[in-house]
Amino acid sequence: MKHLPKHIRPRWRYLAVEIEAAPDADIDRGAFQRALWYAAGNLLGDVGSADADLTVFGFEYADGIGEAIVRARREETAAARAALACIDSVDHQPIGLVVRGISGTVRACEESYLRGRSPDSTEDSVAFADDQRPAICRDDVAEISLPEGFVAATELDFH
Amino acid sequence: MYEAVAAYPAGDSTVSRQARTATDYGYDGLVVRTREAEFDVDAISDRYGIDVVRGIEVDAADPESAAGAVGNHRSECSVLLVRGGTDALNRYAVETDRVDVLTRPMAGDGDFNHVLARAAATHSVHVEFDFGPVLRASGGPRVQALQGLRKLRELVEQYDAPFVVSVNADSHRQLRAPRELRAVGEQIGFTADQITAGLEAWGEIAARNRERADDRFIEPGVRRGRYEP
Repeated sequence: MKHLPKHIRPRWRYLAVEIEAAPDADIDRGAFQRALWYAAGNLLGDVGSADADLTVFGFEYADGIGEAIVRARREETAAARAALACIDSVDHQPIGLVVRGISGTVRACEESYLRGRSPDSTEDSVAFADDQRPAICRDDVAEISLPEGFVAATELDFH
Repeated sequence: MYEAVAAYPAGDSTVSRQARTATDYGYDGLVVRTREAEFDVDAISDRYGIDVVRGIEVDAADPESAAGAVGNHRSECSVLLVRGGTDALNRYAVETDRVDVLTRPMAGDGDFNHVLARAAATHSVHVEFDFGPVLRASGGPRVQALQGLRKLRELVEQYDAPFVVSVNADSHRQLRAPRELRAVGEQIGFTADQITAGLEAWGEIAARNRERADDRFIEPGVRRGRYEP
């Protein structure tokens, strides 16, 4: 169909979202989009969800950290932010997320708010809770493997 | 703005990891609810520039055992919280001056009414708005949590009771930035200012109690002067 003249095209905003999950979590764009629609539908209802028109544009994820760009209607950025905050897990894998900023174009959004950092995590053995334990380390943080599951810690906890 | 979290061993993240995430999200301070958590306040605030406050959340089955725990732990911490969830515990917490915060008043069988709201205002016990189920539950439990929050909000507004806001994070992944909380709050009927005030109240409680624990403090408005021996 012929595209709309510029003055009546919808105005969009792009939210830069940073995602964090367990190092063994496997999340893809489709699953994140589903979780986003589900969260928006539950919080905003069908009407609010349709108004916000949330779409995942960019999505990059590896080894527990990722970034996404979420498109929303210009007037609905507050609703979009609220819906994003209500995503607590993707495919039953708990995730943390934060909106780094909002831009008017995808490119500005990437350049201003997303760092595109490489995860480069290493497997190591650290002293925690009176024993040497296997851990997955990145920067100054570590996910330490204990019998009951992963514990998220930082360098300050190693002793 | 402050946030109150549970930490390892009660949660999945250590205090320092929670502090790192909280700094990143723009919080000024962190209240640790877990009594068993081990952490070095100075090391964390040096590294991440965040104020870490020792808190204890008393989780008792009835008011008698809660009263014992409150007496034992009051002097060990800057912020003392009592977990509600039954009518008797809610009533005990809001009528006890030594308690700073009543957490999760509407969880389980707990309920709140005008008597408790008035008592909370009189004894300046902060009532917690627990955003945990709003962010992490779904279906029926979430609807009930939202109903509870609405009832609590109406009472707190009516009787001008002090309140705090928290997401009750067990792990750093459950934390949300203040701006996100304001957005969620506005969707469910709060004003952005209420959410900000609720997050700032944690810091005010911590500052007040630290001042009271100071050696120079005698009573509100009276401090040991320069010339006292």
